[in-house]
Amino acid sequence: MSFSIDTRIEGNSLPVMELSGEIDVYSSRQLKQQMIAVIESGSKEMVVDLTDVVYLDSSALGVFIGGLKRMREVNGNILLVCPSERIRRVFEITGLDHIFDIYDTKVEAMQGLGRESE
Amino acid sequence: METEECVACVDLRIPCKPEYVGVARLAILGVASRMKFNYDDVEDVRLAVGETCTTSVDWAQRNGRTDTVITLRSEIRPDSLYIEIIDDAGPRGERAADPDDEQDGLGTLLVTLLVDEVTVSALDSGTSVRMVKYARER
Repeated sequence: MSFSIDTRIEGNSLPVMELSGEIDVYSSRQLKQQMIAVIESGSKEMVVDLTDVVYLDSSALGVFIGGLKRMREVNGNILLVCPSERIRRVFEITGLDHIFDIYDTKVEAMQGLGRESE
Repeated sequence: METEECVACVDLRIPCKPEYVGVARLAILGVASRMKFNYDDVEDVRLAVGETCTTSVDWAQRNGRTDTVITLRSEIRPDSLYIEIIDDAGPRGERAADPDDEQDGLGTLLVTLLVDEVTVSALDSGTSVRMVKYARER
């Protein structure tokens, strides 16, 4: 299954990155480029929506960790939306569910930031 | 690890490149789906194979080897799935510290957690990783 990224600006200048398909060693390069671009644009908060992701490996985790480190350096944050038990399990078995703020829905993530979902 | 009866064998050779790792995942998904595995077990095997192939690709790139292959051997056994992934990606020495490599070690950790047995052996031209996933009652 192919991988795609749709990055939009929602609720009061909040970047929301919607990912779909499989994120692996091949597709994570594209993800990394997009995430760095969003961070370098000056955003301090970002929502990454994994609702339509069907596969995710350590390559993707590495990109998320790198992004979170950059965000935390400026007191920012990356919130993940991950309703899939299977995808969430990858975060859980690596202990990364304690590092990331993970929500079931985009609405909940937006509320976590005190913003409204469009 | 290699003494059990093999009911069926499926072998695959792919280029040791990022864009082909998905082919190995797809193949092992088909093999694991024929076992007495539940959904989580099948997904665990798929992820473990993906991670192992990704590590091979990573070392091929680090060692500057562009014309290498990954051989995936899988054996359906009565109570387990045996998988061997062999690469000719060169030696796996000490990794130089890479501040941009945030995934360092995560792949290995995942493989260890996802399958029941893992054995990593250095070969003359690369590495062999053997894994076993045991079938449990559904």
